[in-house]
Amino acid sequence: MSGLLNWILWLPVIGMIAILFVPKDKKDLIRTFGVVTTSITFLLTLVLYAKFNTSIGGMQPEFLIKVPWIEQFNIFYSLGVDGISLPMVVLTGLLFLICTVSSWSVDKQVKSYYVLLLMLQSSVFGVFFALDFFLFYVYWEVMLLPMFFLIGIWGGENREYAAIKFFLYTFFGSIIMLVGIIALYYATGKGVDSFNILALQGGHFTKEVVTLFGTEFSFEKLFFWAMFLGFAIKVPVFPFHTWLPHAHVQAPTAVSVILAGVLLKMGTYGFLRIAFPIFPMASVEYSTVIAVLGCISVLYGAFCAMAQSDVKKLVAYSSVSHMGFVMMGMAAMTVQGMNGAVLQMFNHGTSTAMMFLMIGVIYERSHHRWIVKPDGSKGYGGLYSHMPKYSIIFIIGMFASLGLPGLSGFISEALIFLGIFNRFTTITVFAVLGLLLGAAYLLWMFKRMFFGEASAEVKSYPDMSIREVGYMIPLCVAVIVFGIYPSPILNVMKASVAQLLDLLGKFS
Amino acid sequence: MILNLLTNLSYYIPEIVSIVTMCALLFLEASYKASEKSRTMVFVASLIGLVVVLFSLISNMSLEPVSLFASAVVVDKFSTLTKILMTLGTLGVVYLSYKSKDIYTGLKSEFLIMAMGVLVGGMLLSSANNLLTVYLGIETLSILSYVMSSFKRHESSSTEAGMKYALYGGISAGIMLFGMSHIYGVLGTIQFSEMVPLLKELTGANLAVMLISFVLFFVGVGYKIACFPFHMWSPDVYQGSPLPVTTFFALVPKFAGLAVLVRISFVFFSNEGALQIGWIGLIQVVAALTMTVGNVTAIGQDSLKRLLAFSSIGHVGMMLLGVVAVSESTTRIILFYSIAYLFMTLVVFYVVSTISDKYGTDSHSVIKGLIYRHPLMAIVMSIALFSLAGLPPFSGFVAKFNMLSAVIESKYYALAFVAAINSVISLYYYMRIIKMMIVEQPETNEKIETFNFINQALITVYAIPVLFLGIFWEKIMLISDGAKIFIVP
Repeated sequence: MSGLLNWILWLPVIGMIAILFVPKDKKDLIRTFGVVTTSITFLLTLVLYAKFNTSIGGMQPEFLIKVPWIEQFNIFYSLGVDGISLPMVVLTGLLFLICTVSSWSVDKQVKSYYVLLLMLQSSVFGVFFALDFFLFYVYWEVMLLPMFFLIGIWGGENREYAAIKFFLYTFFGSIIMLVGIIALYYATGKGVDSFNILALQGGHFTKEVVTLFGTEFSFEKLFFWAMFLGFAIKVPVFPFHTWLPHAHVQAPTAVSVILAGVLLKMGTYGFLRIAFPIFPMASVEYSTVIAVLGCISVLYGAFCAMAQSDVKKLVAYSSVSHMGFVMMGMAAMTVQGMNGAVLQMFNHGTSTAMMFLMIGVIYERSHHRWIVKPDGSKGYGGLYSHMPKYSIIFIIGMFASLGLPGLSGFISEALIFLGIFNRFTTITVFAVLGLLLGAAYLLWMFKRMFFGEASAEVKSYPDMSIREVGYMIPLCVAVIVFGIYPSPILNVMKASVAQLLDLLGKFS
Repeated sequence: MILNLLTNLSYYIPEIVSIVTMCALLFLEASYKASEKSRTMVFVASLIGLVVVLFSLISNMSLEPVSLFASAVVVDKFSTLTKILMTLGTLGVVYLSYKSKDIYTGLKSEFLIMAMGVLVGGMLLSSANNLLTVYLGIETLSILSYVMSSFKRHESSSTEAGMKYALYGGISAGIMLFGMSHIYGVLGTIQFSEMVPLLKELTGANLAVMLISFVLFFVGVGYKIACFPFHMWSPDVYQGSPLPVTTFFALVPKFAGLAVLVRISFVFFSNEGALQIGWIGLIQVVAALTMTVGNVTAIGQDSLKRLLAFSSIGHVGMMLLGVVAVSESTTRIILFYSIAYLFMTLVVFYVVSTISDKYGTDSHSVIKGLIYRHPLMAIVMSIALFSLAGLPPFSGFVAKFNMLSAVIESKYYALAFVAAINSVISLYYYMRIIKMMIVEQPETNEKIETFNFINQALITVYAIPVLFLGIFWEKIMLISDGAKIFIVP
């Protein structure tokens, strides 16, 4: 079983290479290859889930892989999985499968599209598996290449601007992180474990000092902020969120789903795997800042969402808001808060994916996304009476997203609030407003799109096809099941989260 | 004495072969009427000559380092590897010049002859071990470069380039000589090995004079590698020169200049003291400014050649970072950066040359929608550009990573952050080209058919190291690590 991670990581690449050999005009064959690859990959992630030993807090020894890569610099090809990364891995498997199915309707340069999508999948797995800092960074950056082209080629009207902004912004964050990675390498004395993420953890750098422009800084604090910048841009936390609405609105549906569902989680995952455990002292010290930024993201994202007349932009801003909850949950540094944060990462992945997919479905029919058109007239209206299947699935996704009890969003948000209340009461009070605002903008959007008189144009839209319903069902199931019974995820992460909190507890 | 000279010559085979090849080409060119046939003959002869040079250099890699000709030159692994890089660069350019339409047909053979001459100058420079040799090397390199840059003599931009290059070169060489004469005045010797112990004993006014004279000395070298503030000539020369010449300038003189800079830093400034502080301070400021000026100015460029000129200024700034960290790793990272830079540059210039030959201009717009017109070229070019921007998994990333490592190892964190931000800026303009090639629709749907099999094979061959060295870089790193500078005792 030790090669399982390798298989999950490299299977998309194998699929990608296979697709490269298929002639360009055999579009259906290419699509089938894509779907088959992602299905097998998803099955393998489920196997990984089944084999997972929930009692172990650290990396699962059964799955560890460590092969020397550049021995001279002690760089290893080392992979592993623990309770924090496993939910993300399964989520990645699921969402990519859904995306390859939902992208069946993409007709422009199908071959390149699927090649890039599979390349993206492999690099996302790489980020979640990597235990070597160098390897982590390589995957973190490689992921940008397919994203740039996916947004740039298959995106909307303003796609070039969005693609470049996304790329530059993320690259800026990650290159600052790279400086931090190298600084850590030398701070540990270039030894065998200098790039080993696990060995770096534990707060070994609390006493190191750095001289910058003649002033002394604490190594821990300076490079905590370097890492913070890299991850915060990815999440994105206010005020680093400005790339996100552009990227989301311009990206094709499947890419939006991946972006919101998986890629944003890489930012918060980075905090949990790297920033917090490697710099525990600074993390504890600055947890208030993180919580405040999280709270601002929650409120600011919600207010921005409320003002949008483009439904995709609305959902994009709601992502900023929901990722703010994750940041708050992490900043709480309590058992409930941290578990809630990881659970919210998963739940936001499924519910936002639903929203983006549903917007994609309606966009394929109407070719616009206006709730209110720029000239003031209604974009949709009356969808409820004409597209019953569509409406029901949309309602499930929307309520999951706004945190209705019984659906997945509620549990994670409740856990986060439970966890943070005692530590940052004032912040919590403000953030709860975010929930209210969330309900407000989503319901208002729903009212404007689904109720009222249907125009002739809306009446001409066909309801969802079997394929469309088909790829929505797993997400509906996930949203409902994990809303009632979240233990399958909570059990997996419990031990790992506890271990992380142990470490942080020593410094608070 | 004569016996000594003869044994010394055996170390000097690559240079001798280059010179012999150059003379042979001259005779060949002169003794036949200008025709396609004679051109091909000169071309093949130069290829053979260069390959022989390359092999003799590779066999020199196994030699123990020695100093030759009364310590005027040193043959060590560092200089040999630099020479290999320069020879590879020349080889790449030779074929480019043969197929390029940018050089007047009648001048193609002359180009090859002069390229051999510049190569000899570069070789001399990279193993120079006294001030006179440095000066000789720089002049050999420069004088032929001036001629090459004004090859398109019917175009004002090219004559302007030649004029600018010559004027700038003359002045900076003069300043450099002025500095050298001060160094000689204070120390009484031009031999590096004799200067080192004398430098240690300097105090007071003499030390101050020495610092200033090294700054003056730096002007000459700085001009050759086009670092700020001596970079002004570079965009005009890049743009005005024929494309193969531009490619040549982007590689050979840069490697030679860097080699001499690295050697000087090692020989004179590896001991702590006022001199080292002054020198490293100077290089730090120059490196930061070179990067920033190069990259920021590149953003606004429309001409691809000009853009590449500024981008190469940015890369020189990056390479100077390696000089800042005068440590064991310096030679290794600079050589690795040069290796990576060599192949990326070859790919990029190859594509630009092909395109601008076809359309007669090198403005941004001709590259639009290249992916629809020639997929291989667009993909290979994107790889090279991403690599230039320093993205993994390409060799440019590893080069940049090591450069940053060296700077951080020496604890110049501020400089590391400057370099990091610069690489974001550079990504912006590289990405604009990539966007044009791949994202935008072409203005015409006409396929590019002038690009025959040999060309396709060649750019693929150049692109392989760009990709390969980004993933499996240990071997090359070990080779560059072994290429130490020999300080004559």
